[in-house]
Amino acid sequence: SGAAWARGLLSWARPERWLASGSLFPLSCIHTSTSLQKIGKWEKKNRIVYPPQLPGEPRRPAEVYHCRREIKYSKDKMWYLAKLIKGMSIDQALAQLEFSDKKGAKVIKEVLLEAQEMAVRKHNVEFKSNLHIAESLTGRGRYVKRVRCHGKGMFGIMKISRCHYFVKLVEGPPPPPEPPRTGFDQAKEYVQQLRNRTLVHTL
Amino acid sequence: VLILVRSPLPRLRALLQRCWGRLECGLWPSVLRGQSPPWGPALAVQGPALVPRGLNDASESSTEAPSLLESILWMAAPKQRRTIEVNRCRRRHPSKLIEMKRNIDVCPECGNLKQKHVLCGYCYAKVKEETRLIRMEIGKKEGGPFNAPTVETVVLYEGEKATEKDEGKRIIERARKRPSWFVQN
Repeated sequence: SGAAWARGLLSWARPERWLASGSLFPLSCIHTSTSLQKIGKWEKKNRIVYPPQLPGEPRRPAEVYHCRREIKYSKDKMWYLAKLIKGMSIDQALAQLEFSDKKGAKVIKEVLLEAQEMAVRKHNVEFKSNLHIAESLTGRGRYVKRVRCHGKGMFGIMKISRCHYFVKLVEGPPPPPEPPRTGFDQAKEYVQQLRNRTLVHTL
Repeated sequence: VLILVRSPLPRLRALLQRCWGRLECGLWPSVLRGQSPPWGPALAVQGPALVPRGLNDASESSTEAPSLLESILWMAAPKQRRTIEVNRCRRRHPSKLIEMKRNIDVCPECGNLKQKHVLCGYCYAKVKEETRLIRMEIGKKEGGPFNAPTVETVVLYEGEKATEKDEGKRIIERARKRPSWFVQN
C-alpha cells in the first residue's frame, strides 16, 4: 500500500497531466504571478470604462497608461529623460531616446514601444503615430543598503537605488507649447491683481 | 551608537569587529576620544574645539602654533542643510536639463533614423555582418594565421564568373545573391 501511495503521489506530481487535461483546471489562467503581488495604481488606470458618449459631445481621445517597475537606475537621472519627452509626439520621443547616451533611454524606449503596441491592439487607437505623451513620471523603487569598503577599515553604507517609470499616451497631435511668460504679461497680471482689490467689512 | 550594517561576508564582519574592538581599547588614537559626536564611518569632523586640552596645557600652549593634527580639522563643511527648494532650483536649471537633438534624419536607404554626421546604424550592421561572413570564407581558404597571399582578393557571388581583369587575384566565393549595395567592378 505504501508503494501504491507513492505511485499515486508521483502521478499527481507529473505536470504534463495537468496541462493535457484542460477540463480539470478551467480557471488556471486566473492565479498567475501578477495577482499575488499588489497591482499598482497606474496599472489600474487602464481598467476604467467611461459611460457611452452622447451624440453631441466632442470625441474623448483614447488614453493608454503604462509603466515599468523596479528599473535599476536612479530616479533623479531618469527624471531628466522623462522631462525631455514630456509633451512630444511619440515618434519624436522615440527618435530623441534612440540617440541619447543615457542608460534609462533604452528602458524608456522599450516602455514607449510596448505602450504603443498596447494602444493599437487593445485601446482602439487607429494610427500608432497619432499618439503624444501627456504625462511621463518617475517614482522611487525599493532601495537596498549595502556596505562600501573604504581604506583603513572604514566603511560607508551605499544605497542601490531603483526607480519606476510611468507614461500616459493620449491619442491626437501633441498640444502646442505654451508661449513663455513675458514681462508684459506679468505686468498685466499685477495690474489686474491691484484692480481686484476691494474693501471688506464696509457698506 | 549602534550602526546596523548588513555584512553578509563573515570576513568583513570579523574585520569590522576588530575595528570596533581597537577603538574601544583605544589602540587607535582617535581625536574624538571621550567627546561627542560619536565615531562614525568616514565622517568629516570640523573645528579644533573637539581636541581635548588639559587645564595646565592652556597656559603653555596658548602661544603654540596649531600643530599639523589640528590644522587638518579646518575643513570646509556645509553650515545649513540645503532646502529642497534650493536643491530643485539647482537640479532643474535649464543648463542641467537634457537638450533636444535637432540633427536626426531619416536614412534614404533603409528608412531608419540616423544622425546627420553618423552612418546609419542599420546599414552599418548589415555591411558588418556580410563582411564577417566574407572573412570567415577567407579564413577557411587560408586555413591558419599568417597565410595571407600577396595578391588582391575578389569576392564573387552566385552566378558570377571571374573576368580577365581578375586574372592573378584570389577569388572568394559567397553562396548567396549579390547584395544591392555591394557594387561589382
